[in-house]
Amino acid sequence: MVKRLTKAALLTALALILFTVEAQIPPVVPIPGVKLGLANIVTVYAMFAMTPWEALAILLVRIFLGSVFAGSMSAILYSLSGGLLCWLVMLPLRKLLTEKQLWVASVFGAIFHNVGQTLAAMAILQTASVAVYLPILLLSGVVTGLFTGLCAQFALRRLQKLTGTK
Amino acid sequence: MIKTRTWIIVIAAVALVAGALSLWLFSARTGTVVEIVQDGTVIEEIDLLRVREAYRFTVTSSDGGENVVLVQPGRVCVESADCPDKICVQRGWLTDEPTPIVCLPHRLVIRSKSASGADAATQ
Repeated sequence: MVKRLTKAALLTALALILFTVEAQIPPVVPIPGVKLGLANIVTVYAMFAMTPWEALAILLVRIFLGSVFAGSMSAILYSLSGGLLCWLVMLPLRKLLTEKQLWVASVFGAIFHNVGQTLAAMAILQTASVAVYLPILLLSGVVTGLFTGLCAQFALRRLQKLTGTK
Repeated sequence: MIKTRTWIIVIAAVALVAGALSLWLFSARTGTVVEIVQDGTVIEEIDLLRVREAYRFTVTSSDGGENVVLVQPGRVCVESADCPDKICVQRGWLTDEPTPIVCLPHRLVIRSKSASGADAATQ
């Protein structure tokens, strides 16, 4: 129990660092909602290395603390709706995928994260115009999800070798 | 277990459809009448073709954020803003395309009017 809690706390801290560092980098493409989503590496990793509830706890604590540290509470609603949808779609995929297919969960997670973000933006801005960006956001979700997913997959494999656990 | 190849095909199909839609959106033209929308309300409507001289004005959001909107004959942009990400400024000029200028932190949207037709259904 203590071991699991420590691991969850460590992962939360790691996700928070990735999230905060990424927030300092100016946006590469001037499209609202497009970002690499480095913290997603931790979410995907936790989803497969721990229980889904632990992954959800790590995700929620990271989003809350991340919004506090990055200094934009207005962004929390986008992160929350995106993060929750991402978690929801990874939940069934967890059972469906082998360890070598972990990146697939990340791609779908990223796609649904961006869908959730767009829905939040439509609700907050009270206009459907932002949905115009959805196709571009889906495409960027595939690319960034693939990247973070492969990172998570390699991390999982290396850490298993290192600790000798399955 | 589902084969990796099947997953690749599914993901590639999603990417292809999204890519095709994006290309279509970037090449589409929706007209030169633009609306400036704040918190879901249209606060200004400008026909860019009727603009003879450039002018600028400041839009202040309900929580005090400011976007300076620059209007020139045929085009409009956010010249400067005090939002954290400046995506609205980087987005550059809007002329007659369906992709709007969006400032998420200040809940500001500048869009081509005929691209907003979908809104009638949601409001």
